[in-house]
Amino acid sequence: MKPPRFATWLLATFAHPDRREEVQGDLLELYTYWVETVGERNANWKYNLNALKLLRPLATSKNVIQNAEPPFFLSPAMLRNYLKIAWRNLVLHKGFTAINVIGLAVGLVTCLLIILFVLDELSYDRYYANADRIYRMTIYGRMDKKDIRLAYAAGPAGQALQQESPGVEAVTRLRKEGALMVKNGTDIVREEQIAFVDSNFFSVLTIPFLKGHKALALIEPNTLVLTETVARKYFGKADPIGKTLQMGHLGLFRITGICANVPSNTHFHSDMFASLSSVKTGKKWLASGAYTYIRLREGYSIGQVEAAVPALVRKYIAPEIKDFFGTTFSEFQQKGNTFTFHFQPITDIHLHSDLDDELEANSDIKYLYIFSAIALFILLLACINFMNLSTAGSVGRSKEVGIRKVLGSIRQQLVSQFLAESVLVTFLALGLALGLVLLLLPSFNELAGKQFTYRTLVGGWMLPGIGLACLVIGLLAGSYPAFVLSSFRPILVLKGTVQSGSRSGWLRSTLVITQFVVSISMIIATIVANQQLRFIQNKKVGFDKEQILVLQDTHVLGDKLNAFKDELGKLASVVRVSRAGFLPAGTSNQSVDGVVVRNGSEVSTHRTKSYYVDEDYLPTLGIKLVQGRNFLKATPSENSNVLINEAAAQAYGFRNPIGKQIAITGDGTEGSKRTYTIVGMVNDFHFESMRQHIAPLIMFYGHDTGQLALRIQTGDIAGLLRSIEQQWKARTDNPFSYSFLNERFNTIYQSEQRIGRLVAIFAGLAVIIACLGLFGLAALTTHQRTKEIGVRKVLGASVGSVVVLLSKDFLKLVGIAIVIASPISWYGMHEWLQDFAYKTDLSWWVFALAGLLAIGIALATVSFQSIKAALMNPVKSLRSE
Amino acid sequence: MPGSMKRAFLGEFEEVVLLTVAILDEDAYGVSVTQEIEQKTGRSVGFSTVHTTLQRLEDKGFLSSRMGGATAERGGRRKRFFNVTAAGRKALQEVKQIRETLWSALPPQTLQLIGG
Repeated sequence: MKPPRFATWLLATFAHPDRREEVQGDLLELYTYWVETVGERNANWKYNLNALKLLRPLATSKNVIQNAEPPFFLSPAMLRNYLKIAWRNLVLHKGFTAINVIGLAVGLVTCLLIILFVLDELSYDRYYANADRIYRMTIYGRMDKKDIRLAYAAGPAGQALQQESPGVEAVTRLRKEGALMVKNGTDIVREEQIAFVDSNFFSVLTIPFLKGHKALALIEPNTLVLTETVARKYFGKADPIGKTLQMGHLGLFRITGICANVPSNTHFHSDMFASLSSVKTGKKWLASGAYTYIRLREGYSIGQVEAAVPALVRKYIAPEIKDFFGTTFSEFQQKGNTFTFHFQPITDIHLHSDLDDELEANSDIKYLYIFSAIALFILLLACINFMNLSTAGSVGRSKEVGIRKVLGSIRQQLVSQFLAESVLVTFLALGLALGLVLLLLPSFNELAGKQFTYRTLVGGWMLPGIGLACLVIGLLAGSYPAFVLSSFRPILVLKGTVQSGSRSGWLRSTLVITQFVVSISMIIATIVANQQLRFIQNKKVGFDKEQILVLQDTHVLGDKLNAFKDELGKLASVVRVSRAGFLPAGTSNQSVDGVVVRNGSEVSTHRTKSYYVDEDYLPTLGIKLVQGRNFLKATPSENSNVLINEAAAQAYGFRNPIGKQIAITGDGTEGSKRTYTIVGMVNDFHFESMRQHIAPLIMFYGHDTGQLALRIQTGDIAGLLRSIEQQWKARTDNPFSYSFLNERFNTIYQSEQRIGRLVAIFAGLAVIIACLGLFGLAALTTHQRTKEIGVRKVLGASVGSVVVLLSKDFLKLVGIAIVIASPISWYGMHEWLQDFAYKTDLSWWVFALAGLLAIGIALATVSFQSIKAALMNPVKSLRSE
Repeated sequence: MPGSMKRAFLGEFEEVVLLTVAILDEDAYGVSVTQEIEQKTGRSVGFSTVHTTLQRLEDKGFLSSRMGGATAERGGRRKRFFNVTAAGRKALQEVKQIRETLWSALPPQTLQLIGG
């Protein structure tokens, strides 16, 4: 007789685990009893009923001890336990936890900020529809053994290319005409970000259109599209469509559309778009230019479009070369000259393009690499710290590991325990880091020239990515201590033999050395970058840039300018005034001319930058004449005379340039070709940034009224500015704006200054992290050697000798780090300096200074601990057990 | 021990089971308790009810249990034997005392009516 099988199975499976055995037994016993008393049928019925009532499918055993098997090392109960124990350990060692968390947090902050920066830099110009098919057409040429690399293309080039090559789907152009005085009613505002664009501009570079017709808005001349912000600036809440603005000398413009603000990650930042048909674009290829963007037709490669360029050049450029320089295109090429068009993906412009006449100064992928490397290094430092401290603390915890093992911990559980600790620390640090980033964001924005908000930080994949990265960091940083500690043999550990002897000591030293190599290299980089900055700012520029006041936009005075100039000249503190539309630094006019030089039978063609200056220009700026004479005042014959600089004389092959003649090609029309006589040669002054060698320069006689340069001599600059402004106000409603030439010079090196400041900050952070690590390590080693110090003191060691003993080891490591860091940073900075035509020398004292700094910092950090240990009463340290 | 701090309520069936365990002394386990109640009270009780009550009494701290040795019958499965704890004895006493107080408070004429 057997009880019903299904009920038995149910009971065996779903009865309460703690009661299963007795319940099964009891029911079996009762079943025999029931069969005897009430018969098999009833017994079966009763058995089934009772069995069903006794099912406890959801019950779990309350008796864990009974279970001899260790629980799965990742079971929820164990995970909870790991975290609980980890938390207790962190709270127990508050000091080390703080050092670890702060160190890691500083590393993470740096890393996060740099990631924000790098991601933003990488996102430039990627938001257009079909951004991957948009290219910018640029000029590449070689003349006079010099490369000509221009960011724009010849004015008609884009449209011509579209006709020649089926691969070009659309062409659009953008031109800049400099700043304009925009007049709305009686208000006059100087607007610098005005772009003149083709009517299809917004269809190719798809900036969203808010009002007006995207394709029709800019067809007619004198039409204007404003960005949202500018529209609000001029018209407030009123509907701007159909309203007009007076755009300087270009006349009245009617507003036909409103577009969204140009995103900050765009390689141009115009906020007013006028129709290109409002301005004259030259018909000659060699004397016109516009930033030209093409969109490829789907299925075509840029190579197919490039293949059409040689035919284009032969068809349009070759005849113009003949007109301009009088030589055939093949002769032109035989002399090693070239002229062609290049194409760059629009997404590459911000990071990879460094051509002449860029719309805005672009960034450089190199700096992105440098910053990413720095971020990685700083994070590495923080991780090293963490590993170092945990491994160093291993001696203190080896007993714990021993006991745990004796009580039955398996290795996986121990590893998980230590990993849980490091992950916990990482996430504490992450929380702190996120808070700090939010706090620092405004200052960082200012430093890096960006507009990040907390949205950038929490948006998209940022947070999950950061979380995941932190988990990985925690696991990696915790891996070494986890695996080393869990490998301890309990017997040896509990007996007191500590195994973490020379091996982990060696590793720890390596880690400290790595940290200091990074820190010292960055200190050196900071010093060298600052030295170079100071060098280029203090280098003699070939003229006297101090005490020169520049009045801007003086062309608005029109006929009254001469009277204004004479008036200024009479002021006591003004030494000399010059009409100086062309100035060595900051926004000023730019001009380039084709030059044909006949030197004996030799004919050479050149492309030379040119200035238009008056007779006051040289004395006002303090530029020295090497040979010949300056322009004479108000002499009509001066119009066919020029001054050149020494570099130009050399390029043209004149040993004695005075009296020599040069021919200027003009804009290719017959009337614009002219021959000039050189009457003077000026010394080579720096009219461009020191990244380049001084280029040849021609100075024509002319009155460019764009700016006035004033050589002043006064201590009361504010008073002088007031009186000048009064005179200005008496003559015009336009805003009065001025600058100082030396300040304009400094702004040329803004990007270098920014880099210098950032590197300095990162160097500081690296040093802080390294110090935190060293501090923790010193605390641990002195703690371990408490007894030794006690014994030494009892035996008569002095405080000084103990301090030396404790500091010596660390200083040795810093010494090794100096030896490693010096050549690395020498190479790195040597490479960086190659960017500059004029550069400072890398002198030995920079390395010595950085080394001394590192030693000093290390000593200060370590000595706090070692002096404390050395001063301790030996009675205390020896008594403790 | 749960239940030892606060005064636990003892239900009627719980009282019967607890008393039966006390009566069976060293030999109280699921089957014997069930059969004893059936014999002594003449009422038919389900084993599952008895089992659940035993468990509840143990949770309340009135019973303690231990596993017996392996047996030849019942598929070699062990029995769980129950003992009344001190708390259990105290609870039984209290119930008895309450009963006696109530009985003694009964007026004599009522007592006669009941047939005492």
